[in-house]
Amino acid sequence: MSASERTILALPKGRILDEAMPLVRAAGIEPEPDFDDPKSRKLRFSTNLPHLEIIRVRSFDVATFVAFGAAHIGICGNDVLMEFDYPDIYAPLDLDIGHCHLAVAAPVDTLAEDHPSRWSHIRVATKYPSLTQKHFAARGVQAECVKLNGAMELAPNLGLCRRIVDLVSTGSTLKANGLVEVERVCDVTSRLIFHRPSFKTRSAEMQGWLTRFKEATDARAS
Amino acid sequence: MTEPMNRALLPAGLRDVLPGKAAFEAAVVQSLLGCFSAHGYDRVKPPLLEFEESLLAGAGTDLVAQTFRVMDPVTQRMMGMRADMTVQVARIAATRLAREPRPLRLSYAGDVLRVKGSQLRPDRQFIQAGLELIGPDTAEADAEVIRIAAEALSRIGVPQVCVDLTLPPLAPLILGAAGLSDAEKRAARHALDHKDAAEVAALPASVAPVLGRLLAVCGPFDAAFPMLEAIDLPPAAAAGRDRLAAVAARLRALAPEIALSLDAVENRGFEYHTGVCFTFFAPGWRNHLGRGGRYGGLAGQEPAAGASLYLHSLIGILPKPAPAARVLVPLSEVSRACLEALQAQGFVTVAAVAAAADWAAEAQRLGCTHFLKDGHPCPVVG
Repeated sequence: MSASERTILALPKGRILDEAMPLVRAAGIEPEPDFDDPKSRKLRFSTNLPHLEIIRVRSFDVATFVAFGAAHIGICGNDVLMEFDYPDIYAPLDLDIGHCHLAVAAPVDTLAEDHPSRWSHIRVATKYPSLTQKHFAARGVQAECVKLNGAMELAPNLGLCRRIVDLVSTGSTLKANGLVEVERVCDVTSRLIFHRPSFKTRSAEMQGWLTRFKEATDARAS
Repeated sequence: MTEPMNRALLPAGLRDVLPGKAAFEAAVVQSLLGCFSAHGYDRVKPPLLEFEESLLAGAGTDLVAQTFRVMDPVTQRMMGMRADMTVQVARIAATRLAREPRPLRLSYAGDVLRVKGSQLRPDRQFIQAGLELIGPDTAEADAEVIRIAAEALSRIGVPQVCVDLTLPPLAPLILGAAGLSDAEKRAARHALDHKDAAEVAALPASVAPVLGRLLAVCGPFDAAFPMLEAIDLPPAAAAGRDRLAAVAARLRALAPEIALSLDAVENRGFEYHTGVCFTFFAPGWRNHLGRGGRYGGLAGQEPAAGASLYLHSLIGILPKPAPAARVLVPLSEVSRACLEALQAQGFVTVAAVAAAADWAAEAQRLGCTHFLKDGHPCPVVG
């Protein structure tokens, strides 16, 4: 089968994957057994459908693979979509999974003397420098972003910066690190995304996947 | 002191086009222009630099952030390096060719320069080739531009041309009629651009249902158009929809080989267009190949339709021509008659300019396929 006929579905590693798999299976996609084997070192997996393959990558990379057309369909959070703002990605379906939100957090003890409405220039540690900058620019604050790839909560306590922008689901990680949410940036859910040119040139197939995932999402909600 | 720079390093997004590829690129441009000219489109050649007032007026406004500027030391006025040639062609039509009879058919090809490449295509300099049909505001004119650009694409080797039709004024007309705030309009625009159904559903109730239905109008033309027909539209938008149907019917009649699709809300890059627009795709190719549509027709501007093709999207994916046979002509055999005779046989001739002991080895070293021996081209073995 030629590369142009094959369809690649990009799935994110980690937290979202557990929630996404029931939908993927309900849409009629069953990956090979290695997919669920934590010891397997494979990156590409065949499925019950001969022309469909699954790749498993970091959630930030799902967006990049799809934006460049290396994968045709993907599942990733709108936090990632907003961070990159790739023009060649369509996100037609909210899968209603991976619920959390993106928030600005700061140490509890700084709040009294430093109300967010008075900020003019701040330093923020985040995994989302572009989104953070845009968020603060919109409210007239200059944000100097320090890009970190994880463990953001450490930054304020060790003096790297006083605020962070990070995903919050229950708030327990913030609390354990003496931080408190001061501002909600946006709500986050996972979306089914498509490579724009593929969505145009193979629209029957792509629309078909959209319908199947929509049915799976609706069935789960009811 | 700064680090010494490697002189091969070029600024980001700029590149040297090397032997083979440069000739191929020129041949592709020639072939596109040949197709436009065969259909009566006369070539014009605007300059690289213009005064910024004329370059960035009207449809040029969205190129403000993409245009390199220099100050003209002579007039002390700002000049811009063209980031898109259509604005220049429209200017030529409106000024120097204002008295020419309409419809006026013009074509062009040349390099354009942009301040920033896109995330997906980092090139800052690339060749744009296209055609403009200035004058009649008809479905036939819209269809002609699409048809000829598609023909040019198939002539250079694109196996299947897909044309995605769209109507950029549609969503703004609906948003305008609903009286949304500017912030709400921007949110709606962003949601529509990414086909984000969740964001569309979160818009004000006056527009969310109709935009939700518009969002679904996406796919093969024959399946998607009935969905658009079923939506109750404001009169101006309904007129646009009728035009869309007429353009599709015309294309079906004259160029049935084109795969037509429809996307009712596609708008990016079409902000200054006023009617039916289109994007060229090919199955399995990762970028769009070109785009265009109807513009002008408002506030004293002349109506026109145009299409642009982007060579940097095309060159990498077109089938490469087989290299020509190259023959090395040894010093003693070089004569004008001999070179002309070989060229008449289709050979590329490489006349030796220094002596060599073994002409076969010399031909191989120079990448020739043949060398001349006793008046006959012999293949280089190896």
